[in-house]
Amino acid sequence: MNEGASGYMIEAHGLVKRYGKFTAVDHLDLQVNKGEIYGLLGPNGAGKTTTIKVLCGLLKLSGGEAYVNGKPIPDRRIAAQIGYMPQETALYLGLTVHQNMAFFGEIFGLTKREIGERERDLLEFINLSGWRDEMVGNLSGGMKHRVSLACALIHMPPLLLLDEPTVGVDPELRVSFWDYFNDIKSQGRTIVITTHYMDEAGHCDRIGFMHNGLLIAEGEPGELLVMTGTDNLEDAFMSFSASDRKGAEQ
Amino acid sequence: MRRARFFTVTKRVFKDLKNDKRSLALIVIAPIFVMFVFGLAFSGEVKNVKVVVVNQDQGAAVAGGGTMSLSEKIISNLDAEVLKLEYADDRDAALAQVENGDAYAAIIFPSDFTSSALAVIDDRSSGSSTDIELLLDKSNINVANAITKAVNDALLATIDQAGMQTPVKVETEAVFGQNAKFMDFFVPGIMAFAVYMITTLLTLVTFVGERTSGTLQRMLATTLNERDIVMGYAAAFSIIGIGQAILLLLVGILVFDITVVGNVLLAFLVIALLAIVSQALGILLSSTARREAQAIQVLPFVVLPAFLLAGIFWPIEAIPTWLRPLSYLVPPTYAVDASRAVMLKGYGIGKIWIDIVALLAMAAVFLTLAVWSLRTRKD
Ligand SMILES: Nc1ncnc2c1ncn2[C@@H]1O[C@H](COP(=O)(O)OP(=O)(O)OP(=O)(O)O)[C@@H](O)[C@H]1O
Ligand SMILES: [Mg+2]
Repeated sequence: MNEGASGYMIEAHGLVKRYGKFTAVDHLDLQVNKGEIYGLLGPNGAGKTTTIKVLCGLLKLSGGEAYVNGKPIPDRRIAAQIGYMPQETALYLGLTVHQNMAFFGEIFGLTKREIGERERDLLEFINLSGWRDEMVGNLSGGMKHRVSLACALIHMPPLLLLDEPTVGVDPELRVSFWDYFNDIKSQGRTIVITTHYMDEAGHCDRIGFMHNGLLIAEGEPGELLVMTGTDNLEDAFMSFSASDRKGAEQ
Repeated sequence: MRRARFFTVTKRVFKDLKNDKRSLALIVIAPIFVMFVFGLAFSGEVKNVKVVVVNQDQGAAVAGGGTMSLSEKIISNLDAEVLKLEYADDRDAALAQVENGDAYAAIIFPSDFTSSALAVIDDRSSGSSTDIELLLDKSNINVANAITKAVNDALLATIDQAGMQTPVKVETEAVFGQNAKFMDFFVPGIMAFAVYMITTLLTLVTFVGERTSGTLQRMLATTLNERDIVMGYAAAFSIIGIGQAILLLLVGILVFDITVVGNVLLAFLVIALLAIVSQALGILLSSTARREAQAIQVLPFVVLPAFLLAGIFWPIEAIPTWLRPLSYLVPPTYAVDASRAVMLKGYGIGKIWIDIVALLAMAAVFLTLAVWSLRTRKD
């Protein structure tokens, strides 16, 4: 594989991840272009989180190969280029919103001033400006989730791996989230998002449907609708998973 | 670059503690509490032990007229702080009191005590010696030893005062620990034990939290690696350990009036090493637990061996030989030994280097294992 030459932000060939005997991700081929928003969709247990964790180096691959920004993974050196938001709200509940954000900022070597500036912007974006010095443990579930997103964005990396960033966020705020994601994208950054909300998946440039560890379809939202002759992504997914099942039976 | 990164973790641990009043209380109050409880309960000084004296001694006439009684002299030389004397008329009454548990011992002087004793002294070749009969409740070995010692001391003092010569004398001189009290011996031990127990407990619980909340994974997805995290924790807890040691030392000096003869900075270094070993152990143990409750289950296995085998309350030499190798496997053993040697005997680094090497080796092993336990999560 001639690394780096491809120009993809993420490139995976036959990526396999097994937990013991169980195959959670099955020969995944994935290309994510620089500067696009890529949506990974699929039902519970499809393997979305596992894929994200492999990409950010938290899990070893069981097979295949993958590159992030041209570097084969796992590679610690690319960690600075990735902003990872885990599916669970992985925050220090005993620290304030500010302390959490500052911690993740400091890890990436941001100065106090940089942290201060970005924190102000991010708090505005997640609509928690007045909550800077509140203990995270005292926030509601959705609020915690928003803080978690802000922590992933604090060092403004070129690649964002966001595992269900909009879950539990109220509809109004979700709209502004997508505006923000498009802002980030326009700065040339790449975003990979997993989600269950098929309606918001329409905001993505491209979508990959995952099912039982397999990538069963991929394309622009409009393309996928045309391919299946459906008028919403939900139905499109159903149709793909049905044909995948048929394919498996043959 | 690396130093700065692990320090981020250290700073975070401190912020977390600052906000968490309960853990803070555990760090500050628990060791002091432990010191008071054990310090007062084990203070080890036997006092006011009830002893019954039966003095049937008739005395003996002396050259200048009148009688003298050696037994009276011995009785007056018995340490009044240790023994609380009562008198009985005969042996049976005294024995009954010991048997009933009313008294710990009976001291009986026979009627010919003074005369026989003098006869032996006057004519060393003949005559049979006389005895002080000591009926002792040996069920409490500490008390029994204290009584025996008091009687022997009184006897020697009396012989000395009478200007008599004993052929052989034991000359005792304190090489270390002149006027040492139990607390002087105990504080270095409890210092090490408290730091070991609290550091292990705290890292264990904190780290299970890091694992279950997902913050550990989140940190590992950043530029921090496993080593940075373990080092960050090690730095934090060694500083906390030194803080606890300072606190305990102050309480020891101010409340229990202990005497410290050595360089306390050396003792603090030892305690810091122990804290590093303990936190690595806490991280290691956290990998065996999925929830906090499970973490608590391993605690007895951490605390009890150290409590019993590390030489905190009694010297290692008092532990059965076949158990002693285990003593050398519990980390506080070395810290107890070293900080005691430094604080009580004034030893320098040249004499405790074996302890320090042992602690460094344990730190190396446990830190490596802790890092390794974080790495294996990726499979
Ligand atoms: N640590 C693990 N050990 C064993 N099996 C696991 C582990 N983590 C995930 N799995 C299994 O791998 C499969 C994929 O899980 P994954 O979390 O990637 O799904 P997901 O698509 O993110 O689902 P969701 O939408 O619920 O978040 C599931 O069947 C899950 O049970
Ligand atoms: Mg998931």
